[in-house]
Amino acid sequence: MSAPNYTDLQLDAMRELANIGSGNAATALASMLGKEVELSVPRALALPLADAVDAVGPAEKTVSSVVLPIFGEIDALVLLLFPTEDAATLCSLLGVEAGTEVGDSAIGEIGNILGTSYINALASMANLAIEPRPPHVVTDMLGAIVASLLSQTVGETDSALVLDTGLAVADVQCELSFLLLPTTGGIAELLGRLGVGS
Amino acid sequence: MGELAVATAPEDELMTIGLGSCIGVAVVDRAKSVAALAHVMLPDASAVANAPAGKFADTAIPALIEESERAGARRVRLEAILVGGAQMFEVGVGSTLDIGARNATAVLEALARARVPVRAQETGGRRGRTMRVHVGAMTVTVKEAGGREVELWSGSPSPRRSAEAIHR
Repeated sequence: MSAPNYTDLQLDAMRELANIGSGNAATALASMLGKEVELSVPRALALPLADAVDAVGPAEKTVSSVVLPIFGEIDALVLLLFPTEDAATLCSLLGVEAGTEVGDSAIGEIGNILGTSYINALASMANLAIEPRPPHVVTDMLGAIVASLLSQTVGETDSALVLDTGLAVADVQCELSFLLLPTTGGIAELLGRLGVGS
Repeated sequence: MGELAVATAPEDELMTIGLGSCIGVAVVDRAKSVAALAHVMLPDASAVANAPAGKFADTAIPALIEESERAGARRVRLEAILVGGAQMFEVGVGSTLDIGARNATAVLEALARARVPVRAQETGGRRGRTMRVHVGAMTVTVKEAGGREVELWSGSPSPRRSAEAIHR
């Protein structure tokens, strides 16, 4: 299986992109909740497809997820993953009940706001015209979620590029991962726009 | 994703965790206690060179048969069980919507071409699944997120096995 070939410079540029995007999203989350939000150092994971799911987390773990498709000059999926308990915490911070239609809708709206902040930062940094489609909320096994999405974005190739950042809300147990899954063409376009194309 | 494995020892278990739109296809020879499992991700490999054997439906089925035969299975006795092919998201990018259903169709077509009968199938729906093939007991079990493990297929020892034994 061919290992993906990106230079350190290209991976650094992608990490920086993830850092700015998720920084913007963290600010949006903090102002929505009135709490501080901490940000982890982003990872740019360039992996053979077979290893991509395991790199994101334990495949059988049940998680809540929000998917936001991005269309325009690049196509990509923004994916937010919450441990189900943390999604419940987030719902209670917002005053709604988890696992209900209203709860799912609130999680979807948070995904929408965070995802949009993320891609706005990305769009202005890489000078891209892109826009999000409405979010979709699914609670299921992490492996099934990530693999199904990777089938859509990079399925025909053997490697995936995943940008992964962790966000944690201060004072409560509420962490989420923020992932950008560009399509194969989207990765090349992004690197080109960042001035580190191959 | 895209992998393929074979097992023959009774204590062995083949497993694929978290099947969403992907399909787990097991091919078994009960009499020889051979089981092979592939994790199929997409319907066809026509546009792709040097893909992993299990990744595409059209190449995975011949590869499963070949690997099973190499492990001692007889082609005429092979039976198939498939799990997965859910549509987890209504949203997506590109022309790739409902890959799950297209995967299931492609796997069934490839099995029909190879004349391997399908003994059990749990495909479609919206939920992810984990599939286990227990070689010793010759059973296939399926588990959904937060659910309990359910037996999908049980291959009791083949009657043909005893007939063969008597002949010899």
